[in-house]
Amino acid sequence: MITLNRQNYRKLYVQLYDIMKKKIEDREWSFGIRIPNEQELCDDFNVSRTTVRSAILELVRQGYLTRQQGRGTFVSKKIESDKLTMFTTFGELMLDEGIDITTDVLAQTIMMPVDDLADKLNISGEKHIIFMKRLRKVDSKPFLIQETYVPFHKCPPLLEEDIQKNSLFELLEKKYGIHVTAVKNYFTIKNLNEADCMLLNLPDGSPSLVLTQHFFSGEDQIMYMHSIKRPDNFVYFIEFEKIDR
Amino acid sequence: MSTEKVVKDVMIDVFEYPHVPYWFTIKQAIMVIKKSVIGTEKCIHPMAVLVFDEKYNILGTLTLNDILKGIESKDKAESPVSEVMVPAKFFVAPEDPLSKAADLMLNNNLVLLPVIEEDKKKFVGVVRMIEVFDELTSNI
Repeated sequence: MITLNRQNYRKLYVQLYDIMKKKIEDREWSFGIRIPNEQELCDDFNVSRTTVRSAILELVRQGYLTRQQGRGTFVSKKIESDKLTMFTTFGELMLDEGIDITTDVLAQTIMMPVDDLADKLNISGEKHIIFMKRLRKVDSKPFLIQETYVPFHKCPPLLEEDIQKNSLFELLEKKYGIHVTAVKNYFTIKNLNEADCMLLNLPDGSPSLVLTQHFFSGEDQIMYMHSIKRPDNFVYFIEFEKIDR
Repeated sequence: MSTEKVVKDVMIDVFEYPHVPYWFTIKQAIMVIKKSVIGTEKCIHPMAVLVFDEKYNILGTLTLNDILKGIESKDKAESPVSEVMVPAKFFVAPEDPLSKAADLMLNNNLVLLPVIEEDKKKFVGVVRMIEVFDELTSNI
């Protein structure tokens, strides 16, 4: 049995999340079955109920599990796409050229991973990270706050690049030859904090669309991006392209 | 003494030290220290965290001492590190003689000194008391 490593820098619930996710992906827990209850999981993995609950919540949030009141937690039925890879184009947030968009670089500096950032980037806690924060404007009206985190060792010169004019994506791909092979996207709606509302010219506590993106190059995660979009005038589209393998 | 050594001969890489931006809370800085230094093989002396602004200019240094003084009153843990750091007021350039670094450190009671390339204002390294001491005492 896979066990949790308490010396590991990754949080316990994240480790448990990974183990449970693997069980689902390997069909050890097949689609539609009820998974063991919280107490059984606590005993199996020798962890607290909070850890189990956090791992389950995250799996529910990512769509792997569904909870049914009074019945238990079940593995979600999924539509298989074995021979079909979806290629996704981001029309909105990748920001097409040609639209009159200006960018204010609010930060381009170095920090260490705090809170759950090390987990989000899948790196250990003593690695330096390049932190970039940009405010995008259309006709000088702010519409997007973009916070980007890149492990320093993945691309040190990024710290000194002109990120006001250049797209990060293009810099990574064209200048540094780091090819993005996959992007995982999570959407949520959040009530914004005071500082973000001020930047976006919104009343305190306004709800807004938050997109978090994990960028991968092969197995390596190279970038984590947190984008907050003003809720008005908003059309988001995702384009799927069928690729034959 | 033969040709005197200059700062760049003994300075160490800035990435030996943890970096935080000035808006991090003291609590976050403590977590950084716990993850980066305590509990890893790497234990750098003197233990310090470098504090930067948004544009990666160095603003100051934060030693364990500064943090402990900072959290004497408990509610301070949520204050930004900029309130307890030692602001960086003194710098040396890579070509400066080591004696200049030694003077600055002794007169201002510093354990480390940022090295800045003057023309570009670029932060390129850190010079520590331990190397300065070693170098200046080598002919005795």
